[in-house]
Amino acid sequence: MTAALPLATSDWGYVWANLGTLIAAVWPALKLTGAALVVGFVVGVPLGTLEVFGGRRSAWLARKAGVVVRGTPILVIMFITYFGLGLSPAFVAATAALGVRSAAYQGQVFRGALQSIGRGQMEAARSVGLSKLGAIRHVMIPQALRRFVPGFQNEYTIVLKDTSIAFAISYTEIFYHMYNLIPEQTTATPELFLTVAGIYLVLTLTGNRVLDYVDDAFSIPDGGASR
Amino acid sequence: MSHLLEVEGLVKRYGDELVLDGIGFDMDARDVQVLVGPSGSGKSTMLRCVNRLTEFQGGEIRLDGTSVMAMDENDLRRQVGMVFQDFNLFAHLTAKQNVMLGPRRVLGKSKEAADALAMEELERVGLAAQADSYPAELSGGQQQRVGIARGLAMDPKLMLFDEPTSALDPELIGEVLSVMRELAEEGMTMLCVTHEMSFARQVATDIMFLEDGHIVEHGDPEKLFTNPDNERTEQFLRRLTEHGDGS
Repeated sequence: MTAALPLATSDWGYVWANLGTLIAAVWPALKLTGAALVVGFVVGVPLGTLEVFGGRRSAWLARKAGVVVRGTPILVIMFITYFGLGLSPAFVAATAALGVRSAAYQGQVFRGALQSIGRGQMEAARSVGLSKLGAIRHVMIPQALRRFVPGFQNEYTIVLKDTSIAFAISYTEIFYHMYNLIPEQTTATPELFLTVAGIYLVLTLTGNRVLDYVDDAFSIPDGGASR
Repeated sequence: MSHLLEVEGLVKRYGDELVLDGIGFDMDARDVQVLVGPSGSGKSTMLRCVNRLTEFQGGEIRLDGTSVMAMDENDLRRQVGMVFQDFNLFAHLTAKQNVMLGPRRVLGKSKEAADALAMEELERVGLAAQADSYPAELSGGQQQRVGIARGLAMDPKLMLFDEPTSALDPELIGEVLSVMRELAEEGMTMLCVTHEMSFARQVATDIMFLEDGHIVEHGDPEKLFTNPDNERTEQFLRRLTEHGDGS
């Protein structure tokens, strides 16, 4: 075999025999993805809103917190939540870590969505007598959420793939199980890696299709002008 | 007795630039006051001072005898409707929901009451059939009529129109002007910035000509059009008419 990757039929057989284990691990991976995205959304959307509409001090604080979190490697954050803060089980620590980081990124996506809405929308809302908070709630946020979906698709993809890092704190997701399959047949390592990559790819593509559908379902009718 | 709107010595600066330099005028209920003048003369700024979308640095604006600075800004805006050049309809809401938002969230009306009110206002501007259309599905003229209905739904004492037809294709201007004309006939108090001279001439109770933050001329429309005192006014009006704007 002269190929760059030493692939062998017997190794594929080993993968096939253990495929069930890997596929069963999809659920914990998705569970972690979902939980982290929810945390990221619940924390990130208010942070993004603060950055745009907050007072000088709160906007500054939101911005700085985001910079610090985005500037820290995810593995470090995960070690902090797991070993440092002692969160357990691993699922909780991993959710906290991926969730906090996702909040920092979702906050930026939401900030961009808010800032892309024309100034006139805010003025019109204020001119009918809505308070600033009322205008944000009834006019700005509903529109920003719709513009948020495409950026959120990226975030889904990133968080999903980074659940694999939770293997470092022994969260039993896809990567963890794959890693444990290596010692028994080390020659199957490339086949195992490729298979896991394939599983992530399938999850990424299907997840994005679902979000495309969400984007469509919530888009504002324009009589087909944007199609 | 005080007037509905009193503007006295209004001064507005952007940095060092003096945009409004001591504007003063009064409006009574049912008046249609038209502001004309070259772009950059401060017309829109003047309008936006009235509902405090813009801060001003000097002078006084009183609504029903109360200084607008002494009023809660949301309370002030509840009483003063505004129609924008770019319509600014809430893009995520249908025509009806656009009109309902204020009555619902500001006046605290029930959904049913706000719905009925919105339909009434849309009827008034001839758009009941488009109640469930989104802004992007409507023509510019229709959007602006929804914008007017949105203002009317708050039952304002005064309506501000900031160049309501300037962003419209020529063939759509007429429908908006005819709604405004009807409003004037129904007795709505209106403060309008517009370049539509035929509208000004037919509907205005009074016209002000603004230039460089000053009122250059102020008076009866017929006089302003036929025999202006000021040479600048005459030039400006002549130029507008020559450009075929007076249709």
